[in-house]
This record gives sequence, C-alpha cells and structure tokens, in this order.
Amino acid sequence: MNTATQTADAAAATSPSRQRPPLRRILSNGAVIIGLVYLTLYGIYALNEPSALTVYSFSSLMNNAAPLALAAAGVTVVILSRGFDLSVAGVISLTNVLMAVHPMEGAAGGLTSLALCLVLGGAIGAINGILVSYVKLQSIASTLGVMIVCQGAALLILDAPGGYVSDWISYGLTDVALEVLPISGLILLLVACLWGLFLRTDLAVGIYAVGADENAALLSGVRVRRVRLAAYILAGALYGFAGYMLSAQTATGNPNAGEPFILLAFAAAAIGGTSFAGGQGGIVGSMIGAATLMLLQKVLFSAGVSSFYTGLFQGVILIAAILFSGMLTTISNKGRAQ
Amino acid sequence: MEAIERPQCVHATGLRKSYGATIALGGVDLDVGAGEVHALLGENGAGKSTLVKILSGIVRPDEGAMTLFGEAYSPQSIRDARRTGVATAFQELSLVPNLSVAQNLLLPRGVKNALGLNSRKRTIEAGAAILEAHGLGRIDPAARIADLPLADKQRIEITRAVNQNPKVLILDEPTASLAEVDWVFDLIRSASDRGTAVLHISHRLDEVRALCERATVLRNGLSVATVDLKGADNAAIFEMMVGHAAQGTSRRGASRSVGDVRLAVEGLSSARLSNVSFSLREGEILGVAALEGQGQSELFRVLAGAEQPTKGRILLNGQPRRFKDTGDALNQGGGVAFVPEERKTDGILPGMSARAHITLSVLDRLAKFLVLTSRAETETAHAAGTAVDFADRYQKFPINALSGGNQQKAILARALATGARTLVLLDPTRGVDVGTKETIYGAIRRFAETGGSVVLYSSELAELVQLSDRCLILYGGAVFDELEGDEIQEHVLVAGVTGHRHEHHPRQSYKEEATA
Repeated sequence: MNTATQTADAAAATSPSRQRPPLRRILSNGAVIIGLVYLTLYGIYALNEPSALTVYSFSSLMNNAAPLALAAAGVTVVILSRGFDLSVAGVISLTNVLMAVHPMEGAAGGLTSLALCLVLGGAIGAINGILVSYVKLQSIASTLGVMIVCQGAALLILDAPGGYVSDWISYGLTDVALEVLPISGLILLLVACLWGLFLRTDLAVGIYAVGADENAALLSGVRVRRVRLAAYILAGALYGFAGYMLSAQTATGNPNAGEPFILLAFAAAAIGGTSFAGGQGGIVGSMIGAATLMLLQKVLFSAGVSSFYTGLFQGVILIAAILFSGMLTTISNKGRAQ
Repeated sequence: MEAIERPQCVHATGLRKSYGATIALGGVDLDVGAGEVHALLGENGAGKSTLVKILSGIVRPDEGAMTLFGEAYSPQSIRDARRTGVATAFQELSLVPNLSVAQNLLLPRGVKNALGLNSRKRTIEAGAAILEAHGLGRIDPAARIADLPLADKQRIEITRAVNQNPKVLILDEPTASLAEVDWVFDLIRSASDRGTAVLHISHRLDEVRALCERATVLRNGLSVATVDLKGADNAAIFEMMVGHAAQGTSRRGASRSVGDVRLAVEGLSSARLSNVSFSLREGEILGVAALEGQGQSELFRVLAGAEQPTKGRILLNGQPRRFKDTGDALNQGGGVAFVPEERKTDGILPGMSARAHITLSVLDRLAKFLVLTSRAETETAHAAGTAVDFADRYQKFPINALSGGNQQKAILARALATGARTLVLLDPTRGVDVGTKETIYGAIRRFAETGGSVVLYSSELAELVQLSDRCLILYGGAVFDELEGDEIQEHVLVAGVTGHRHEHHPRQSYKEEATA
C-alpha cells in the first residue's frame, strides 16, 4: 500500500477536499431562508396591526396554517422521492366529511378520530405507492385518479356542506396551552421534531437517495420500490392529519374541503426550498412556507389591500422564492466549481 | 504459461439474455478461479455490461446457470448478490450525489446510535476508517459526493465494492477516470491475495496484461474464447474481439468523386471535447469511431446546433457559422440535418403519424398561407420515404406502433426531407435489424453520390469500414487518429478506439481480395 499512500498524498496536494463555507451552507437551506421571510413578514404585519403580537392573533394564524402546513409536509415527502401526489385534496375532503358525519366526543373519541384519519390517509397513500412503484404508473396520472375517487367517495358520505365536528377537537385543538402556546402550533412543532428523528433512519436516507438518483440508489442496495411505497404512505398519513386539523378549524364538514389545498400545498413546498427534481429539501421548510402563505393573507388584509389580490401576491412570492433559491444554488455551485 | 491450480470460484455456462428482439447475450461461458484476476474483453455492445448486470443480480438471465464455489448462484437482486459475496464497482458509478461520502460507503444502512437512529458522527467515523484503510484518508468523509471531482468518485465507487470484502469483485472500467492506476492495482492485488476472484473489465490492454493471467473475449454476445494473455499478442486479441467474419467486410465498391470542402471545424472544445478539427467535403462520408462517451455525442450535437462549443468555430462553405439551435442549422449554408442517438427520447413523438414525423422539420415550407395542405405533406413524405425504402402504408401509422427499424427509417427520411446537404448521423442503425441496416447504408451512399456530405458515428466498427471514405478516431474527447481509404479496417479501428497506436498499412488479405 506504500505507493497508494504516496499517490494519495500527491493528489491531496493538488485537489484539497472542498467544503462549502458555513454561511453559504446555511443560506442554501430552504427552511432558514423561508423562516427569515416569515419573520420579516410578521414584522410588517405587526407594524400595520399592533394586535398581531397578541396570543390570540398568533394562535389564529397557527390554526389557519396548520392544515396547509401538514398537507405541504405530505406532498414534500413524495416530492423528495421524485414523485408527485395530487391525492392530497381527496384525502383531506374524505377525512373531513368522515369526522363531520361521525363525530366522536371526548378525548378518547378525538384520539380515535386522529388514529382513523392517519390510518385512512396511510391506506390511500399505500394505494398510490403501489400504483406508482409496483404497477409503475406515472405518479401525476395515478394520484389524480385516486384523488378523484376520494372526492367522489366524500360526496357519497356527505353530499353538501354540513355535519359537525366533536367539541373536543374543534375547541381543544384550536385552544392555547399555558396561556401563550397555541395547540395547533405545538402540533406542528411536534411533527417537525418527529421529522428530525425520521431523518436519522435508513428509510429517510433512502427517500433522499431515490429522489436524487434512482438508479444509483438501486445499485447501492437501496430497496427503491419499498422506499417509494413508504414515502406515499407517510404522505397519506400527513394528509389525513391535515384533514383532521382542518376539521378542528372549520368545525364542520365539506365534501370539497380539500380542493384549495392542491395548488397551495405544492406552492408551500416550493417556497420552502424543496426541489421538484427530488432529493433536496425537507418538510420543515414546507411547513413554514405554508405558514408564510397564510400570513401573507393577513398582512395584505391589515395593509388594506383587497382580498382579491391575495392570489396575485402569493404567486409573486412563489416565483420570487424559486428565483432566489435558484440564484443561491448557482452561486454556491460556482464557489465549488473551482 | 502453466496455469496455477486454483479452486474454481465463478462458473457460468450458457448465459443468454434478450431484450425483445435484441439479443444481448447469446451464450456466454465464464470461469474465474479464487484469487484470480480475470479480464473481460470485447467491443461496444459485445455484451460486457449485460454480463456484469447478470453477475451483480440486476438482471436475471433467460437461460444458463451460474455457480459460486460449486453452489448454484441465481441472485434475485443486487442485495442478494452482495449477501452471497459478489460486489461490483459500476462503470457509470452508482453513488448517490446528495449524500455524504460516508453515507454512500455504508448504503443502504447507516451506523446506529444507542436509540437505533443513524448517528451522523459514527457514520462519518466509520466512513473515515474505510477511506483510511483503502489509502484515501485525504478525502473528507462528510463531503457530499456531488462536490467531489470525478476521479475521487470513481475511487469511492471502487472502495465501496472492495470494502464489502467480497468473494467476487467485479470492476467495470475502474480506471476510466483515473490518470494513474497504481492505487487501483494495489487494491486489486491485495484483494486477489485474500483469495477474491476479480473480474476486471477494461479496454486498456496494457493494464489488463499487467494484472491478469487470463481473459475472456466477448463478441456479439458470445464468449469467443478464454485466452492465456502471455500467449497472445495484442493483434491476436483485437482479432478475436473483431471476429474473423468481419475481416471480409467489403468496402464500398464505387469510389465517388469528392468535391470542395463543405463543412470544416477548427479547434472545437467543450466540457467533453478538446481541440477537435477536421473537414468534410461534398460527396464524402466521414466516419467517426469511438468507444462510448469519448465525446462523440457532444461533437455531433455541436455540429447540428443542439449544443454550443466553448471554443472553436464551424465553417460552412468557407463561411464561419454559428448555429443557434438545430432549426437554425437546417437553414444555414445548404442545411445541416441531425439524426440523434436516442430514438426513444430524442427522435420520436409518440402518437404522431410517421408522415408527420417525416415532414416535421419542413412544415414551414409546406404550409401555404400558414395552412398545411394535406397533399403537400403526403407528397413530401412519400418522396423522402421512398429514398429510405419506407413503405407508404406505414405513413399513417403512429410512429410508436412501428418497429424500431421503421422508426429509424422515418427519422432518416425526415433528415433527407429537409433537403439539407450535410447529414449528421449519430449511430443511425442502433438496435435495428440487418435488412434495415442495408437499406440505411444504401440511402446514405445515394445521398453522398448526389454530392451530399455525411458525418457518421456508429457503435459498430464494421459499419464504418463499409461506409466511410475517411474515418476519425476519437479518444478522450480529442481526435486520436485519422484513417483514409484502405487504412480503414476493423482491427485498426479497434486498436485506435481503445487508445492503441496501430501501424497504418493496408492488410495483405484485403489487397488480395481486392485484386482477385
């Protein structure tokens, strides 16, 4: 091995191992960028609307943001594996009407409802996953089909807006703990922490690997099909959770409740720095992205801008975010190309 | 040489594998002893990569049997193969770009902490230990793969395979990106000392001779021979790779009168090309011979306007030209038309008719007052189709419903329909049957006879021997050699594309045939 060491040393002199400078590394993290954007926006909001800093205001923001944040987290998991999942709208509608038609009272009922939502979402995710990764259908087309089936099923269960969601859920989950901590915010924090743990599993590494280069992942021994399936199941469970939180917020059922979520969930993921090319990003950025989109509505309202402009501003923010992250990627690649 | 007695390790007999009508392997036998470094030689498309995939558990053979130390070996997945003790360093590199060096070395599992979760610290420590043990201590185990230079990626790919401590180590072109090879050689020798059977795939014969005692030669999906390398000179080995049948390949009979220079390139450079210059005359067919990935795709895409060079220029009829895109190239200096390499991804639009494909590039000329008349389209498609023997009854078929051969004819017809005087053909007969090949050769020759200029890359060297008036050899993105007329022979090309100089003298046997 003597020659090997010598040549290795020689090579080390010519090609030092490259590390990105820390500042660039932090700035190229989508969650950090969108977090800064969120804080800035919140500052503007507070300037326009002094009540913005009250617990009530913050709590209502969190309650508004929670369903979209969870939906965005779900689509992000699939996007990371280089897939696309439109079934988010269907799962949210379906879980929402189920909770409104079969309310279960009390803490036990509320937790049972949660478990049902997660299991139902996970089961629908499993169907998506099987269609995409074992039957090898295109993910957009097959999840579109699954979404339409779920929407149809939701209409069968509840044909018009109505029903009511149990008090424990609609009041308890929109409440504030210890006078200052919104429950829905705590739930999002819990999901973020669980994601942090999940990132340290082989499955999570597999999802990022499959998203970045499916063939390389396969040749490296990653069980690509199984990993894909797991990503869809996890995403489905998160949509179920989103439907649960939406029910808590609206306290009623609507068979079309999920529809607005499709585009906004993907927008939130993009704003949060997740690449649609797969393998890059994370759900924390998407959740903050979702919160940003919802905060933007409040800011515009507080600034006296007509609510008709909301969509326009959300779109502009989305494009700006993508441009900005594209620029950062280019810059950090240039730094490395030397 | 007296063969050293070794326990048999890998034994494969009668391996066959077809993909649809394409036979990738038509009967391969392989025998590698424990501790032996065994070479696998063959041209492009000889079946080397399919054999690697079968041994590594990625594809299952249609027929044939394999044993490992006498026990039946039929891996169902790459993990299965790894468990049985077969590890592979792939030519195309199988590292995941967004993960760290350490994570890649340990895939699919990270090192766990007490809670059963992946520990970043321990994973990096384990990665560092692996790198250190294989003489790569200078590489940062926490660095992302995407941030490393290609040569280091290749070293890590090899290290990962060696680190499995396999009974069988398969190295597919392990030195392709390495400027110096001592490091790989040391790893291979120490693996072999431990009793590992090493299957070494390389087109560099001097390396093969330095490492291996025996080589198995593949040709057209068949294992032609297993030779003792000490007893075979390079010429004999090239001969085996090319095959005796190919020696009689007749060269184009009638020699055309070649006109003025139509296309000239000077000093073309890009990421994969370095300083490529040549010229192409009217009525001339210029062949380009190269192994895969030697810059030919980039060169042809630049010639056709699909890519921009970083340096150098293109002249048409003596005028410097810049092609903005392929459409622009069609309209400049008599026109340059391109037939791309990947039919499925670059060439066809599924669902559209063959006729629409043929006329696609000339729609603006066929349209009157922006309206496309069906008659003009039909006539143009018929005329161009006839030139390549494309049956009229297929004109209305959706292109994806046609056979590969007919698809390829339609794509060539499209290039001809443009009326371009220069054709840039990137492997136009890949994956088509013998009859279609002959038709395509005929169309190319007729085009040249009417004064057209053709630059042609083919992965089949025999095709270049048949068609080219001159032939460039590309190696590592540069022009390695240029052959003319009778110098263009398959064994000379094989030597050239693998980076070996070969004396240019017309072969005796060919001369005799020619005079007979």
